[in-house]
Amino acid sequence: MLSSRNIAYKLILIITVCSVTIFAVTIGYFYHSSRVTLERELEETARNLVLASVNRMETELSSIGKVGEGVVRSLETGNYPEKSLNTLLKGTLEGNTNIYGFGAAFEPDAPNTHTRPVNYFCRKNGQISFVPVNDLQFRTHDWYQIPKELGKKEWSEPYFDTDVEILMTSCSVPFYDGAGDNRRFRGIVVADVSLAWLKDIVASIKVLKTGYCFLISRNGTMLTHPDKEMVMNETVFSIAESRNNPELYEIGRKMVRGESGFTPYIGARGVKSWMYYAPVSSTGWTLAVVFPEAELYAEVRALTIRVACMGCAGILLLALAVALIARSITTPLHELAEATEEIASGNFDAELPPVRSQDEVGKLSQAFISMNKALKEYIRNLTETTAAKERIQSELKVATDIQLSLLPRIFPPFPDRPEFDIFASMDPAKEVGGDFYDFFFIDDTNLCFLIADVADKGVPAALYMMVAKTLLKSEGQRLGEPERILSCVNNILAADNDRCMFATVFCAILDTGSGVVRYANAGHNPPLIMESQGIRYLTLKSGFVMGPVTDTVYEAERLTMQPGDTLFLYTDGVTEAKNSEDLLYGESQLLYDLQQGPRENLADMIHHIRDRVALHANGAPQSDDVTMVAITYRGSGSG
Amino acid sequence: MILVLISILLTPDGEAAELKKATLMPLWSTQAQFAGYYVALDKGIYARHGIDLTILKGGPSVSPSEHLQNGKADFAVLSLAAALQQNGAGNRLVNVAQIIQKSSMMLIARKTSGIRTPADFQGRKVGVWNGDLATNAFFTKYQVRVQQIPQSYTVNLFLRGGIDAVSAQWHNEYHTILNSGIKADELNIFFLDDHGIRFPEDGLYILERNYRKDPAFAASFAKASLEGWRYAFDHPDEALDIVIRTMKKEHLPANRLHQKWMLEKMRDQMKPRKNGGEMGQLSPSDYEAVGLALRTRGVITTVPGFEDFIGRHDAQQ
Amino acid sequence: MEFQVKKEANATVVMITGRMDAVTAPQYESSVNELITGGDTIIVVDFDGLDYISSAGLRGLLVTAKLLKAKGGQLRFANVKGTVREVFDISGFGSIFQMDDSVAESLAKLA
Repeated sequence: MLSSRNIAYKLILIITVCSVTIFAVTIGYFYHSSRVTLERELEETARNLVLASVNRMETELSSIGKVGEGVVRSLETGNYPEKSLNTLLKGTLEGNTNIYGFGAAFEPDAPNTHTRPVNYFCRKNGQISFVPVNDLQFRTHDWYQIPKELGKKEWSEPYFDTDVEILMTSCSVPFYDGAGDNRRFRGIVVADVSLAWLKDIVASIKVLKTGYCFLISRNGTMLTHPDKEMVMNETVFSIAESRNNPELYEIGRKMVRGESGFTPYIGARGVKSWMYYAPVSSTGWTLAVVFPEAELYAEVRALTIRVACMGCAGILLLALAVALIARSITTPLHELAEATEEIASGNFDAELPPVRSQDEVGKLSQAFISMNKALKEYIRNLTETTAAKERIQSELKVATDIQLSLLPRIFPPFPDRPEFDIFASMDPAKEVGGDFYDFFFIDDTNLCFLIADVADKGVPAALYMMVAKTLLKSEGQRLGEPERILSCVNNILAADNDRCMFATVFCAILDTGSGVVRYANAGHNPPLIMESQGIRYLTLKSGFVMGPVTDTVYEAERLTMQPGDTLFLYTDGVTEAKNSEDLLYGESQLLYDLQQGPRENLADMIHHIRDRVALHANGAPQSDDVTMVAITYRGSGSG
Repeated sequence: MILVLISILLTPDGEAAELKKATLMPLWSTQAQFAGYYVALDKGIYARHGIDLTILKGGPSVSPSEHLQNGKADFAVLSLAAALQQNGAGNRLVNVAQIIQKSSMMLIARKTSGIRTPADFQGRKVGVWNGDLATNAFFTKYQVRVQQIPQSYTVNLFLRGGIDAVSAQWHNEYHTILNSGIKADELNIFFLDDHGIRFPEDGLYILERNYRKDPAFAASFAKASLEGWRYAFDHPDEALDIVIRTMKKEHLPANRLHQKWMLEKMRDQMKPRKNGGEMGQLSPSDYEAVGLALRTRGVITTVPGFEDFIGRHDAQQ
Repeated sequence: MEFQVKKEANATVVMITGRMDAVTAPQYESSVNELITGGDTIIVVDFDGLDYISSAGLRGLLVTAKLLKAKGGQLRFANVKGTVREVFDISGFGSIFQMDDSVAESLAKLA
C-alpha cells in the first residue's frame, strides 16, 4: 500500500512542482511585462493629461499676459493723461472678466503727465471701482520690482489676498519710453488675477481613483493640492525634508528648474506612486500628477490573481489527473503484489488479477500469470521428485534397519561364557554403508569374531555386505579356520564380480580355553591389542581385500591373549571421522582416548570412544560408518 | 458645586485679581520669531502676571514704533537700532527686555555669483532693507560700494536672479531660500555678527512716559514674556502649534518646518553672549557699540544713558 | 580430483591429483575406460599428486585393472606414497599391483 502511494505521491509531487514552477515563472514574466507596458502607457497618458492641462493654463495665462502687453503697447506709443489712462485701464478691466484688478504704476521720475504714482481698478461687488494707493513702498514689492529688475513680463509668486480671501497672482509688464540707449523704464502695468480657476483646472484632472494633481510655484510652494493644509504653507522642499525624502527634494529641484519627467515617487505615508510633472513655462510653475502604484497596478494585479487562480485550479486538476493515472497504474500493481504475496506464501491457486490493458502493467500481469503457471508446473514436478526421493530414502532407511538388524546386538551375547567379554557397535552413516561385524561359536570353545568394511556405499555396498556377512558366517561355521574362511568366501564373491566390489575383513577365532587367537586379514586396518604392558597395533600380514579377484591367498597368524587382554577392532570410519575443518580424528587420538578411557567395561570403552569421535566431529556430518568391536579374554573358567 | 470648584481651580493664585489690559505690537506678522509672546498668552502666563494682553497684528503695512507713539500699542518689539533712532527723534522709549542678543542679519550670495569675501561685494547689486543700518555698517567697514536695491519682504528677486546678494535674517529668509530648493552649499553667507557688526535686534519697548506710570507693570510684562519664551523652548512642538494656529487664523502661509527652524534659531540668538548671563538682559557694551555706530553715521546725535534706557534708574528711585 | 593424460612413447601416463573417493572415483573409472576402449592398453598411473584414496577409489583402480587385464594390457602404478601407500599396504593392493618409485621407472620397466 505504501509503495503504491509512493509512486502516486512522487508523480504528483514532481509534476506539481514542475508545473507550479513553470506557471510561477510565466505569471511573473506576465506581471512584469504588463507592468512595464502599463508604465509606458501611463507615462504617455500622464504626459498627455498634464500637457493638456498645462495648455489650458497657458492659454488662460497668456490671454491675461496679452491684455497687459496690449495696454503697455498703448502706453509706450501714445500719450495718456490720467483721465484717458483711467478710461483705458477701466475699459480693459471691463472687457476681461478673468482679471480681478488692473492698473499702472509709475516710476517717481516719470513725466508728470500723471497725478498719481498708481492708478488701479478692481472689481468689487460686481462693480469696477478705483482703488487709491497711498503707500509708496509698492516700488519695492515683487510685482513691481522683479519685472523692473529683470526687464520683462513677470508673474509674481501667488499670494493669498486677505481682503478677498482668494489665491492671487499678478502679471506685471514693464513699459518704457525712448529707444536704444535712451530707453528708460517708466513703470509697470499690472493685472491681478484670481487663481480660483486654477483649482478648477487641476481638480478636473482625474487620475484613477486616488491619484491626484498638484501645482507648485517656481519657489516650490504648493499652489493647489488635495490636502488644503499644504496649499501656500508647504514647499516641495519642506515636504521632502519633513518626510525625510531626498528623492522628492531632487525632483523638486528639477521641477523649479523647469524640467519635466516621469519618476517613481514615495507619497505621503510611504505610498508608492509614480509622478509625471511638466512646467507651466510662462509662470515657472510645475504641474504634477501622482498615480498610486497600488491602484495603477490594481488591474494587472487583479488579472494576475485571476490567472494565478485559474493556474492553481489547473494545477489541481493536473494533480488530480496524475493521481488518477497513478492509481490506474498502481491499483493493478497493488492487486498483483497482493496476489503474488499469496502465491509466495504457498497458495499457487491464488487468482492473479485479469489482464485489463495492453500497457506495461498488462504485460507485467501476463508475465506473472505465465510465471505462476511455470511455478505450479515446477512445484508439481518437484513434489513428484521429492516424493520419489522420499520413497527411496525411506527404503534406504529400511535397508539400513535391516542391515543393522543383521548384526548381533544383544549384549552380553553369551552370558554363560565367563571366559571373555565382547561388545560391538555400528553407527551407520547417513547413507547405507557397508560396515559390519559378527561373532559366533564355531564349536564349544572356539569363538569366531570379525569386522568388515565393504568398499563404497549405497545399495550395492549394502547388498554386498549382506552376502559377505551371510557367507562369512556360514563358511566360518563350516571351515573353522580364519584363512580358509576368507579364501573360500573370496572365491565365492569374486566369481562374476565385474563391478569389483570388495570388502576388507579381519577375521579371528579365539580359543576360549587357551586364549590363543588365530586370525587372518583381508586388507583391513590392523586392530589394537591392549595388554598389561600397554596398547599396540597388532602386527599382521595384510592380505588382499576380499572379493575382487579369485584365488587370493590369506595367511593365518596367531596371538595368545592373557586374561585381561583386550582386542580392539575398528573400521576407518573411526579414525577418519572429520570435523568441519576436515581434520581427522586420527590413530594417535584413538590410542590416547583408549588409554585414558575406561577399560574394564567394554560397553563403556566403546561408548567413550564413540563420544570422543562425536566430540571431535563437533556436528560435522558423519561420512562413514563407525564400527567398533572389543573383546577381552578373561581366562578359562579354571584359571 | 463642580462648576464652583472648576472656577476656583481656574483662577490663578486663587484670588479674583483685576487684570490690567495691555497691547503688544510685534515687529512683523505672526511667526516663531515672536513665539514666546503667543505662548505666554496662550498658556495664561500673562494673566498669571496680572496682564490681559492683546497681541496686535503686525505685518508689512504696520509700524510698531508708530503704534507706540500713537498709543495703539503699549509694548512693541523693536530692534535696538530702531529704538535708539526713535529715542533720537524724541520719542523716548524704555527697553524692558532684550530678546535677540545679537545680530541675526546676514548677506547671502550664490556661489556662482563669485562673491566670496566682503570685498567681492564691490559694485554688485545687493538687496538691502530700507533703513537697515547694520548692513550699511558692514559695507562701510569693508569700504565697498554696492548697488543697493531696496528689498521688500520676500527673497523672490534674489531667487529669480535679479540681484547678486540678498539681505536675510538667519532665522527667517535664510531658511526660506533653503526651502526653495537651494542647497546650503550652493551659497556663500556672511553673518554680520561674525564681522563685528553686533546690533542686538528684537527688544521689548514701552514709551518712557508710560513706563514711569507703572514700572512694575512693565517689569511683569517683561518677566511674563521671558517665561513664555522659556516655555516655548521647553515645549517646542506645543509652541509651534500655538504659533501656526495663530498664523492660519490670520491666513498667513504657515510652514511648520520653517517655523521650527525659526524657533530653534531664536533659542540660539537669545542666549546671553556671556556665560552665566541672564536671558533678556541688554548688554551695556553692545548698547554702547550700537549707539556709537549710529552717532558716527549721523543717525542720532546723542545716546541716552544706559540705565535710563533700560529704566533701571527709575525703578531704583 | 584432477585427471591428466600424457602420451609417452610406450605408454599412456595418467596423472591423478587431489582426493580419490566415492565422488571422484567414477570419474577416474570412466576416463580410464575411455582410454582403454580408445586403444591405450599400456597405462602408468602417477599417484604423485594424490592425497587420499578411499575404498571406493580402490575399487575404481580394481575395475580398470580388471578391464585392462581382459584387453591384455599392462598397468603400473608410480609414486604411491604417504597415506595412499599405507592404504595400499593395509588393503593388500601393494601386493597385487606393480608399483614403481617414479614414472620413469615404470616406463623403463614397460619397455
